[in-house]
Amino acid sequence: MDLNIRRKSTKLPLTGSLVETYPHDLQMYKIPPTEDITLQEFETLALERVTLLRSLATATTLKGLRVYSEEWTDYVIGELRTQGLKYYAKLCEKSSCATTEADLQARRKDHIAHFILRLAYCRTEELRRWFIARELELFKMRFATMRGEAVETFFKLNNLCYTNISDEEKSEIIHFLRESTPHPNIENMKFFKVKFFEVLDLVKMRKVYLSGGYAYIPHKDFISVLSAQYRTQLKQSLAVACHHLGEIEQDERLVSLLKGLHQSYSGNDYSDAKAVIPIETLDSLAVKSFPLCMRQLHDQLRVAHHLKHGGRLQYGLFLKGIGVTLEDSLRFWREEFTKIMELDKFEKQYAYNVRYNYGKEGSKRNYSPFSCLKIINNTVGPGDCHGCPYRHCDVGILKNRLQGYGFDAQAIGEIIDMTKKGHFQIACSKYFDAAHHCDLGLGINHPNQYFEESQKIAKGDIKVEVKKEPKKAPIKKEAVDELDEMDFDEAM
Amino acid sequence: MVGHYDENMLPEMLPIYYTRLFPQNIFCRWLTCGSYPQPLSNRELSFTLADDVYLRYLTICNQKELQTLLQKKCPHKLDIGAVYNTKPSIGRHDAVVLSRELVFDIDLTDYDEVRTCCQEAKVCEKCWKFMIIACEIIDRTLREDFGFQSILWVFSGRRGIHCWVSDYEARTLDSPGRGAVADYMCLIMGGDNQNKKVHLGSDNLHSSIRRALTIIDKYFEQLLQEQEFLSTSDRLDKMLKMIPDETLRSLVKKSLESMPEASLDRWNTFINVYENYCRESGNNVRKIRYLVEEIKIQYSYPRLDVNVTKGFNHLLKSPFSIHPKTGKVSVVFKPNNAKNMKLDEIPSIYSLLDDSSPDHVQHETNMRAAVKNFQEVVFSLEKSEAIRRKADANMSLEF
Ligand code: SF4
Ligand SMILES: [Zn+2]
Repeated sequence: MDLNIRRKSTKLPLTGSLVETYPHDLQMYKIPPTEDITLQEFETLALERVTLLRSLATATTLKGLRVYSEEWTDYVIGELRTQGLKYYAKLCEKSSCATTEADLQARRKDHIAHFILRLAYCRTEELRRWFIARELELFKMRFATMRGEAVETFFKLNNLCYTNISDEEKSEIIHFLRESTPHPNIENMKFFKVKFFEVLDLVKMRKVYLSGGYAYIPHKDFISVLSAQYRTQLKQSLAVACHHLGEIEQDERLVSLLKGLHQSYSGNDYSDAKAVIPIETLDSLAVKSFPLCMRQLHDQLRVAHHLKHGGRLQYGLFLKGIGVTLEDSLRFWREEFTKIMELDKFEKQYAYNVRYNYGKEGSKRNYSPFSCLKIINNTVGPGDCHGCPYRHCDVGILKNRLQGYGFDAQAIGEIIDMTKKGHFQIACSKYFDAAHHCDLGLGINHPNQYFEESQKIAKGDIKVEVKKEPKKAPIKKEAVDELDEMDFDEAM
Repeated sequence: MVGHYDENMLPEMLPIYYTRLFPQNIFCRWLTCGSYPQPLSNRELSFTLADDVYLRYLTICNQKELQTLLQKKCPHKLDIGAVYNTKPSIGRHDAVVLSRELVFDIDLTDYDEVRTCCQEAKVCEKCWKFMIIACEIIDRTLREDFGFQSILWVFSGRRGIHCWVSDYEARTLDSPGRGAVADYMCLIMGGDNQNKKVHLGSDNLHSSIRRALTIIDKYFEQLLQEQEFLSTSDRLDKMLKMIPDETLRSLVKKSLESMPEASLDRWNTFINVYENYCRESGNNVRKIRYLVEEIKIQYSYPRLDVNVTKGFNHLLKSPFSIHPKTGKVSVVFKPNNAKNMKLDEIPSIYSLLDDSSPDHVQHETNMRAAVKNFQEVVFSLEKSEAIRRKADANMSLEF
């Protein structure tokens, strides 16, 4: 991108050219902006878009609304209004192709701001993922609110021409279309044939009829094709942007601004602990300060002396994050596992993974502990005990467990109520309050955050030695997703 | 499972096995074709030696090098990894994974909560039925829904099966793509803390689920009788926990507990009670519209290890590798023949190399058949790859 920053903008952009550049409210951001803007506008635009993206995240995680539901969209647009971002509210409410000056200016801001954030969010895998997820939500939301003719113009403008299948072909498979396409009135819809990998989100949810490698989708579902394309394009351009950061950051003013933006969201990833926690205290900490997801893994390990891969990963990284040293961690897992297996087997099959979590094996990355979002979206299979209990436990089992812990009926009722509504993190926050006999109503988004909050309350109770600053080689922080490569076929 | 075997004999037997019986030629052709357009040497192989020592990032350029490597290291187990943009090696962390067969791993240990005949490492003809069902359902989904053709089915060596899809589109599918395919097939979800693991909702059933149910129905009654899913009060209890509607649950409980133990009879009674209940309570039954289907699926639908499928570079045991604990060969079989496979007829290295063994003749025959199955898949893969490359070349000429 080549954004030239000047102290003052003198030129007023010509409305005529803006009409050509921005014919539609919705854009796929294929071409970077080239005009000159002031540093001040640069900063304002960036902050405003961060606010926009954050309100999307808040709607889902803190308010517990279902993504793309009506309430969700309403909440987001309401937020934009109260934050004084009327132009975004307007762009999101019903995208169209009007050409008033206000429309054009809104589109211009949308365009520039998107590209500024690419620079701020291309730095790490974690940030990239967050940015892509939010931008996609935004894109889909805007597409969904678009009216019929605006949709058609959008397709035309973006050169998206597909031909629908013939009536004969449709009537041959109409039975399957009816079974597998979750829309009413299939009879009156035109259907299009695309490769299955163009609509992975529909495939994943089994919401499309597949045959011979093709997906049969009605017009409505084209948003899947579009957002898949958009995602790919965004991913690639973020990778490119990341490569060229050096050049862009020649200007010091920009560096601090972009980095500041990124810190204002990224928060703590808990990959480096601040204290040392001796493993002898884990049993009592599990009761007092662990969120339920970790308490349940701890209990399971003590009872069965074993955890499956997913559980070892989730719990092992959490322990690292709260401050269990590598040596202690090895001792901890060894003591449990060797109750059911030979020491030799442990050392060969499991010790490697423990060291790996600490960045001492394999590609030596310093993996960060999983966030709630990651845990909640994890796959949990037969024999597994990891995951988020509010998401992955039957309500009955959860209730029994909470009763077993001696919580009072009212607290249990509240936790269960939130669980049933699908507000997992709010349920977790209620659990926190019940466990600490308080009423903080924290927003929980990371098990290690839960732990730290709990420790704050307990301070004085538990001895926490301050960790001496260890001398260590710099370790590259990388995304948790790349853990895949350590997946040996351990079941054999 | 048969056999007088002794792991200590492996170091002597393996070199002979690798030279005389391991289908080196077809193996190399399969991997070469499946690595294209990268050379065979960009493919990671991994060996497990005696004493569980892992050697990762081994590579070969051709059959001769494979032969030498096998003789030199004499691996107890042979695994196959991904194709990289360069020759992978231990020190290189900049190698990038480019492609990899789309793989599926189904293991009977994941059925421990439903199978009643065996647990953990054990397996018998009765629980093998689960694998037959899994193989048929997955194979048809891959062919009919995704249009894949080069599909290789392999016995894992002890208690499960592996599936390798070598079509170009499958090999180059990215991680989200693999995840989506795995999720498309995954109907059983949830860990030890969830009793009911299948939720089909109340709308129309997707065509792929209907097809799976038709396949399950071919085997279900027999499975029910052999596994005796409902014959003890513990097992009955497990099944009752899958019924979310409390009134119905207690109705079913009452009727089933008071009748003889035969699982099939109990099942039929359950269906009766369920149907009556639905008829009487009218529109209250949306929530349990597919209850019967859900329970059938929980009992018998394939339980995939989705992480194996999602991971791009998960190592998976090679066809014709020996299972170090059982001595069994990881034979290639035809999906439509899975139901005729007998576990004790699967060749083992001991009976193959010992011509005085009572199983020798049969195991030899079966080994030959397995190599032939392998050949058939590889030949058709080579053919379709040739066609695809030609089409690609024409395409690029046009531009
Ligand atoms: S909400 Fe987060 S911290 Fe709480 S139990 Fe679930 S995953 Fe753990
Ligand atoms: Zn069995």
